[in-house]
Amino acid sequence: MALPRAIDLGLTKCRVCGLVAAAGPDEVHCARCNHLVTVRMPASAEKTLAWLITGIILYFPANILPVMHTSTVTGHEDSTIIGGIIEFLRSGSWDIAALIFIASVAVPVTKFLAIGLLLWTVRRRSVWARHERAKLYKVVEFIGYWSMLDVVVVAITCSLLQLKTLASAEPRLGIVFFCGVVVSTMMAALSFDPRLIWDGPAGAT
Amino acid sequence: MSQINACRECDTAYADVELARDELARCRACHAVVARHAHTDVDKALAIAIACLILFFIANLTPVLGIEVAGTRTEANIWEAVLSMDNGWIALSAGVLAVTMLLAPFIQVVLVIWLLTFARFSRRAPGFAHILALLHVLRPWSMTEVFLLGALVAIVKLSSFLPISTGPGVWALGALTVLLAVLGRFEPSSWWALERLGET
Repeated sequence: MALPRAIDLGLTKCRVCGLVAAAGPDEVHCARCNHLVTVRMPASAEKTLAWLITGIILYFPANILPVMHTSTVTGHEDSTIIGGIIEFLRSGSWDIAALIFIASVAVPVTKFLAIGLLLWTVRRRSVWARHERAKLYKVVEFIGYWSMLDVVVVAITCSLLQLKTLASAEPRLGIVFFCGVVVSTMMAALSFDPRLIWDGPAGAT
Repeated sequence: MSQINACRECDTAYADVELARDELARCRACHAVVARHAHTDVDKALAIAIACLILFFIANLTPVLGIEVAGTRTEANIWEAVLSMDNGWIALSAGVLAVTMLLAPFIQVVLVIWLLTFARFSRRAPGFAHILALLHVLRPWSMTEVFLLGALVAIVKLSSFLPISTGPGVWALGALTVLLAVLGRFEPSSWWALERLGET
């Protein structure tokens, strides 16, 4: 059963306020919130791809460079994100290791793959697994910001470990790249217009 | 008044339906929420928003975590965490933290209080449309709950070799996270219903 779509009726829903109104070929501003209303978000796939590539590029220095430098009485140490996870594992807190692994490694990588998959299938105007892809987009939107977890942990650790010679910690450049990964992947998800999944030939719904 | 509504996620068009209180309409194609009953309990939402503002101040003016070793005491809360990254290029991270943990939640709460205070007296707040658009933009960038989880991870991380204690801020932060989530349930889209106030 094919349900009618707003685009076929010459209508569009404002992304900001949700008012449904006629969309013409000219620039239309929403009667309610004055936001620019377009049938689809302009250059959505291109912007999403640009943010995705940015995120993937930043992901390398984010993992290679140290995110924190710790000095204690026993010595100095630079730690990377992966190094931090391994340290938690060694000290026996596998649960915290798992949490940071999920937030810092699994979530960004899943987002890269998921957004990549969405872009690729949308480009092919695929009818394959639309429900699942719509759900995938929702998941990507929802999990994205939890990647900030490691940035928060580093920041809190650095503000607490100011115990002079006993123990001190400062952030290192890797954390900036990691922040960049989180922001880029969030921008990629926000730039993506989920309605594109359902464009193209009407498939089984 | 439009007679047609559409799904935000998949663009399927529907005839507008009257929804009773607490009812919502889901899309038959993609199961996203298409419409909710446009009703905001202004008093309740305002009370929650004011509570959020108070908790926000407590969380930021008291320590969330603290360490005391040999007479030296260090403390951490959101602001201290932002300041700890204030160093060369790393300040970019401080900027991201400041926006997501401090500015976005604070501005959100203040704007909601502004809107609802006027709504309370059946008036349309000045700048109504701009404020709702701004709330829409801020929403994904407000991350108080991530800070709370980060504080919990930091406790586990440091407690093995340092005497770490929690301050009042951690409770305020916990309560703030819960109340912000409750406030988030008042969909901004249903706040557009407040727009009709003052027009009649």
